[in-house]
Amino acid sequence: MTKEDDLITTDKPLGKALEKQLRGLLDTLIPATEDGVMLSAADIDLMPYLQLHSAESIPMLIQLLNELDDQFASLTQTARESIVEQMSITHPGPFKIVTLQVFACYYQDERAQRGIGMDAGPPFPRGNSVEPGDLSLLDPVIAGRHSYRKVED
Amino acid sequence: MPNDIVDVLIIGAGASGAAVAWSLADTRMRILCLEQGDWMNSTEYPSTKMDWEARQQKEFNIDPNVRANDWDYPINDEESPISVVNFNGVGGSTILYGAHFPRLHPSDFKVKSLDGVAADWPIDYDLLDPYFAQNDRMMGVSGLAGDPFYPPKQPPLPPIPLGLVGETVAKGYNKLGWHWWPSDSAIISQAYEGRDKCLNLGPCMTGCSQGAKSSTDITYWPAAIRAGVELKTQCRVREITINKQGMADGAIYYDAEGNEQHQRAEVVVMAGNGIGTPRILLNSCSSLFPDGLANSSGLVGKNLMFHPVGFVQGLFEENLESHKGPQACCILSKQFYETDIERGFTRGYNMQVSRGAGPVGTALQGFVSGKIPWGSKHHAAFKERFDHVAALAILCEDLPEEHNCVTLDPKLVDSDGIPAPKIHYKLSENTAKMLKHGLSRGEEVMQAAGAREIFSGGPVRPAGWHLLGTARMGNDPQSSVVNNWGRSHDVKNLFIVDGSIFVTAGGLNPTSTIQALALYIADSMKKNLANLFD
Ligand SMILES: Cc1cc2nc3c(=O)[nH]c(=O)nc-3n(C[C@H](O)[C@H](O)[C@H](O)COP(=O)(O)OP(=O)(O)OC[C@H]3O[C@@H](n4cnc5c(N)ncnc54)[C@H](O)[C@@H]3O)c2cc1C
Repeated sequence: MTKEDDLITTDKPLGKALEKQLRGLLDTLIPATEDGVMLSAADIDLMPYLQLHSAESIPMLIQLLNELDDQFASLTQTARESIVEQMSITHPGPFKIVTLQVFACYYQDERAQRGIGMDAGPPFPRGNSVEPGDLSLLDPVIAGRHSYRKVED
Repeated sequence: MPNDIVDVLIIGAGASGAAVAWSLADTRMRILCLEQGDWMNSTEYPSTKMDWEARQQKEFNIDPNVRANDWDYPINDEESPISVVNFNGVGGSTILYGAHFPRLHPSDFKVKSLDGVAADWPIDYDLLDPYFAQNDRMMGVSGLAGDPFYPPKQPPLPPIPLGLVGETVAKGYNKLGWHWWPSDSAIISQAYEGRDKCLNLGPCMTGCSQGAKSSTDITYWPAAIRAGVELKTQCRVREITINKQGMADGAIYYDAEGNEQHQRAEVVVMAGNGIGTPRILLNSCSSLFPDGLANSSGLVGKNLMFHPVGFVQGLFEENLESHKGPQACCILSKQFYETDIERGFTRGYNMQVSRGAGPVGTALQGFVSGKIPWGSKHHAAFKERFDHVAALAILCEDLPEEHNCVTLDPKLVDSDGIPAPKIHYKLSENTAKMLKHGLSRGEEVMQAAGAREIFSGGPVRPAGWHLLGTARMGNDPQSSVVNNWGRSHDVKNLFIVDGSIFVTAGGLNPTSTIQALALYIADSMKKNLANLFD
């Protein structure tokens, strides 16, 4: 490991070793699909997202990553899942907060959104088309005995 | 040095403040509105950004205690199961509202006569009818004429699309033989008055980037300003000042630089909403009004009503594309709106169908409820739920109870040092029974509509959207704060036009009625200009 690899800076708050653990953890939480339609959470830009939207969860993430063995990232998905399952029991609070942030970051990524069938880009100015709907469905309501409650003078 | 005197000083630039300012403008009086927040910039709304769902959680959170901007005021809601939500800026809470825009029913104004509870309003639906129609035109309301639960009315624009969500739930209502109707929505379904039509973005409750949702910063305010009304932003009112005769003579406020100013006025109109208005009145104590201004009845701040809300969600096999389209507006049912004592409670509720969550909302809700796990089963579970959920809100009528109230917090203050409001609220037995009934009926609808999984719950905590009753209207000065046209019984040149003056809450979203009331009060002021203070 070179000295540079150990550097922890404001834009790289983890350092190389923890970054590797992070990739492993993210890939465990949301792996890619086999057909390649959905990317792995390891491929999203989590750290800048956390810095912007949830800086308070970074120390919790670091705490979780420090719990993981050096070999963690190279284990199989099944093996990693059982380690993370254990972690979710021993550190329920930080685990829940970090997982929620990972989910949030993941589904705001354009690639993930395309994967789930959404059109690319933010809602505006793209917009969406919505079925006008069949207003003849109202026929029974109109034919029914509904009426507003009259108020006597 | 006090500022130049104005004829009318309006406090608050939200739904009601904008309507009253516009209507009074044709008198050519000098009208000034003070607003603690600022103008919004629609290009900055979350829906212009990829991370809109994250921004919704912070900068655009509906809870002022979470946003915690300098121009918001904190609200102590520890003694309430329902927290107050609002927005402070030009447009007020209409910036974030869902724009579901039903009118109260004729029966809502007469609950004492009809059901023997609470009190009748001193006015009725027929009196407000022309103001409802005027407001619909000014705001730009979409809907369908012919709802049998109303006297005849004609929304200016055709209804917004039902979408697959609306159609699916409508079929459920039809199976049960229950009432439903496309919602009246303050969202323009066609180009209208220089604004382009709704693009079905989805997240209306983070501000509308398209400008199709009718918030008052883009409806009433441009017209009012063109007609000569002056609007000063970042000006927070601390108290209403009075003269020796006990008449209001202006307000003390802090300007954008935090300097204390005194604005003098011939007439003061309060439009700070059901929390903001009693807060200012209670903070305006003097030797003449030791318990707060306009409070000889002791009812300023009392009788706070929300519409306690429960949610029923149905998960469907079919893809309903439910993240598309106006979030809070689709169809509604008033099948259980009126009293039926067989149900074990008085009054009733409306069932408001809404669209589903965005992808982040779906994932987070799914994780918290244990339905969408992390790990190798994640994608399949997400796919099953995203765009497959339809929801409906059970919006219950809350009856007025004096112990539900707003007071001034002894410690908490805003960024100008003004005491913050404190909410004291308990869900009544009547409302709790109503909510339970509504949740069961909601589940029946979802079942009839073909949902394969149903979940429900309530009361929802961050659902203090509708802030009503804290300075109520009435003919008797001992049991009400303002008279039948919004004028304080105690202070003859002080008017209140916001949701505070509701006598009862009805079981429907209130803004259409709040604004119709504001227009009616403005009209009454105009008709009585010669003897306004008699
Ligand atoms: C998330 C959300 C969703 C909603 N959805 C719906 C819906 O679908 N349908 C519906 O009918 N209603 C809805 N509402 C409620 C609706 O927004 C309100 O009923 C309506 O805006 C109330 O109008 P108002 O004039 O009483 O107060 P507001 O519109 O809240 O305006 C009050 C204004 O006064 C200002 N103010 C307060 N105190 C001071 C002070 N001391 N000095 C200076 N300015 C002050 C505030 O900054 C604010 O701008 C929703 C509200 C929210 C927050």
